[in-house]
Amino acid sequence: MPAKPVSKQVPSRGGIFSKFKGNIEAIAIGVKFFFNPQRFTLIYPKEYIKLKEGYRGFIVLRKDKCINCGSCARICPAAAMRLIRLPFTDPKTGKTRMKLWPIINYNRCIFCGYCVDVCPTEALYHVPYHDVVYETMDVMDLDLEEFQKEPEWDTEKQGLPVKYVVDEKMGLVKVRIKEEGEKQ
Amino acid sequence: MSGIIRTQGAQVGFNDLKLPGMWSRKIGKDLYEIFIGPQHPGSGHMRIVIRVDGDVIVEADPDMGYVHRTMEKLSEVRTWIKGIPLFERMAIHDACNVTLPYVRAVEKLMDIEAPERAKYLRVLLCEINRIAAFLYGFGIFGVFLGHSTMYMWPFGDREVWVELAEWLTGARLTHSYPVFGGVRRDVPAGFTDSLRKAIRYMRKRLEDYRKIFVDNPVIRARLEDVGVIPKNLAIELGITGPNLRASGVKYDVRLNHPYEVYDQLDFEIPVFQEGDAYARVWQRVEEIKQSLNILEQVADWLDKHPRTPILHDKFWKTAPPLYKKIFEETGRAKLGAVYAIMKVPAGKAYERAETARGEISYYVESNGGNKPYRIRIHSASARNALVYKYIVPGHRVMDLPAIYGSIDYFPPEADR
Amino acid sequence: MSGILDIIIKIITWPPLWQLIVLGLIVPLGVVIFILWFERKTAARVQRRIGPYHVSPKIAGGLQLVADLMRYMFQEVIIPKTVDKFPFIVAPLAALILSIVPVVAIPFTSIEAYFPIDMSYSLIISLALLTLSPLFIILSGWASNNKFSVIGGMREAYLITAYELVAVLAFLSAGAITGSFNLVDIVEAQSGVKWFIILNPLAFAAAFIGVLLSTSGFPFEIAESEHEVVAGAFTEYSGLVYGMNMGAAYLKRMIFSIMIAVVFLGGWKPYTPGEGFIAGYLVPSIVILVKATILMMIFSFFRAVYGRYRLDQALDIAWKILFPLAVLGFGLGLLEAYLGII
Repeated sequence: MPAKPVSKQVPSRGGIFSKFKGNIEAIAIGVKFFFNPQRFTLIYPKEYIKLKEGYRGFIVLRKDKCINCGSCARICPAAAMRLIRLPFTDPKTGKTRMKLWPIINYNRCIFCGYCVDVCPTEALYHVPYHDVVYETMDVMDLDLEEFQKEPEWDTEKQGLPVKYVVDEKMGLVKVRIKEEGEKQ
Repeated sequence: MSGIIRTQGAQVGFNDLKLPGMWSRKIGKDLYEIFIGPQHPGSGHMRIVIRVDGDVIVEADPDMGYVHRTMEKLSEVRTWIKGIPLFERMAIHDACNVTLPYVRAVEKLMDIEAPERAKYLRVLLCEINRIAAFLYGFGIFGVFLGHSTMYMWPFGDREVWVELAEWLTGARLTHSYPVFGGVRRDVPAGFTDSLRKAIRYMRKRLEDYRKIFVDNPVIRARLEDVGVIPKNLAIELGITGPNLRASGVKYDVRLNHPYEVYDQLDFEIPVFQEGDAYARVWQRVEEIKQSLNILEQVADWLDKHPRTPILHDKFWKTAPPLYKKIFEETGRAKLGAVYAIMKVPAGKAYERAETARGEISYYVESNGGNKPYRIRIHSASARNALVYKYIVPGHRVMDLPAIYGSIDYFPPEADR
Repeated sequence: MSGILDIIIKIITWPPLWQLIVLGLIVPLGVVIFILWFERKTAARVQRRIGPYHVSPKIAGGLQLVADLMRYMFQEVIIPKTVDKFPFIVAPLAALILSIVPVVAIPFTSIEAYFPIDMSYSLIISLALLTLSPLFIILSGWASNNKFSVIGGMREAYLITAYELVAVLAFLSAGAITGSFNLVDIVEAQSGVKWFIILNPLAFAAAFIGVLLSTSGFPFEIAESEHEVVAGAFTEYSGLVYGMNMGAAYLKRMIFSIMIAVVFLGGWKPYTPGEGFIAGYLVPSIVILVKATILMMIFSFFRAVYGRYRLDQALDIAWKILFPLAVLGFGLGLLEAYLGII
């Protein structure tokens, strides 16, 4: 059942009556939307969108799960994920060797999520927000300690969470989320 | 019109002084040269140099290259998987369409094919992106003609589709969804119901667009008989996409060289005959309707068939149990470490796809290493750029935004 | 003390000063601030947005335009080296002043003590004064020494030749019906339901579309269209002079709307002016201004619904459709005067 090409024609030009009708229809639909705008604008930052769990936001490391394989830095398309060598003393044998740990440079990250998907032990995860603010560019180059903490998110303290639901009449509908999980 | 050198009908040079082996062109005396330059509200990121005699354009010269990001060269120093986010940024709003031929070409070299569920998922995201890209084109077209409502409405309706894409892939625009061997995520629960609601909503909205824009007498007067591309000239110049089909040529990559599951879906390819800007607007509206039909069929298929692995066995069979557990719970297919160091067997592959703006084709050559040897991309807007040189002369200055918007030219895609 | 207050009040309510400064400059500026807010809110509602909001959320963003005006006052006025300085600065000022001057010839009441000038030929005088200001747009385009400004100025020149004739003929049809050029007689003749919009709808349609053509209202916003010529004749302007240019267009639209309200919509009818300043001058002015504001709100609505015409299409409409319509309206007026309908 492949596609079929179908020949079509544009509607014909018509005379002065169809021009008049076109004008009246355009003005009528303008008036209809003037009285019923059906808006779903987000009034940020008084409200903010509480994004779903699968959203590819900022990345956080769980150090206890990391096995130092370095796959995340190898696959990063923007060279944002780098590896640093830190000495590690094995408590059983007492020998010191170097281990590779990942750190991230948010000046370069494109939030593609390849590092999270390639990590064999699920040591990296996304937080579901993206509107984080840093003051200078050097601060965006995180070190190992900062990489393990979730970035500070101020919007949560200032606004009310909403979410958007696809709707048949209005397209999207803004729904306020109550704290206990009850929606109104 | 003596002194003009023609090659098989199209005009390629001037020879006013009739010197052998040289081009010579007489510049008119009263021509006014205007640079519709990169810093202009009506030009996008490119420059068009027009020479005007009163109000009529005598010559037009597109000056591309302001957004050249050397993507083909960058891909030669990065491994294969890193090319997917790179090529996506050519035309970011139909991200899946422009990276799909690259992924298919590399799969052809590796001699694997994505599982059927992955193919349907790729078509799902391709059509969602196609609708979003058409709405973006309408928005820019509306604002070039001064119709600010036609700028805000498509961008507002595009939010519905971008939200759906975000639910599916995790990012609003930069999906990076197809990978070699399949796709990265499966549909979440409740996705197909929302998709059906969005399809019904979009069908209703197309009726609103018709009343305020497509049948608006002011817009009809601006667009009828403007930028007519006759059928033989369209084929000669190599114009592609909805512009070609609005001139009467029955060509679409999904029809003539079907890929993924397009040969199993039932849809129409509308073809208009007039070839002017008004036919191109109708062409895009009809194609949105056909994309909605395709999406309905894909949603029905995805509902009917249970969840199967979405990556090829080469990458999924040897996956550790943690990967299979996460795929079961969240639908996210984790990538194996082999993706970072993958070597593709030597060979040459050529693949093409139909984006919202036209046909894009990739030539991928590998010499067995973990980085490509050469990738050559010919994108849709690069093919369509010839419209400025050959179609615009003879029109008035105020027709230039109308022609620009109606061929849906996107400079980053043309410059790569 | 009360003597000085009386003198000040007497100076302010002296008809030429009151009409020119208060009714001509201060009140239209206030109405323009309201109309710009209304235009942005209307366009936003039709386009499913909110429009101005954050400046004063409780009154739906009403103070946004005041904030914009303050921004224009503090913005640096950049005068490029290559412009012709004297016309560059004088042209917006002259355009602003000349678009307000016609109001001195429009009566806002029927009591003779409150006329700024003799109103016997006020229709002709006000129409003549309305045609002065567009020339300064062409001058500012020429003085800017920039290809886009010259093209914008030339477009305005084409449009002037188109709409002037249409507007003048449409308004003159009112003189045809009543047989006099005195605007007070024209208003007095529209008693009851005999407003000229009902008696002569052809002339009203021609005048309505003529106003859109003359003040860059959609769908005829051609001289300053953003997408071919960057801002038309106003490309090189910034700061307060830019605000003056944009304000001049809206003030001209306000004065035209006052003319239409007086000629076609009955002026200060159904209210008859009484004695004293309040009942004789203030209240009829308010009635006329309310009618003019409603007309301006209808003009603003078209911004959300229409694109813009091409220049030669707009000229085609003016010469092929509006000019015959205005002539027919004039003829209809003469016919009604002959049949003695008034």
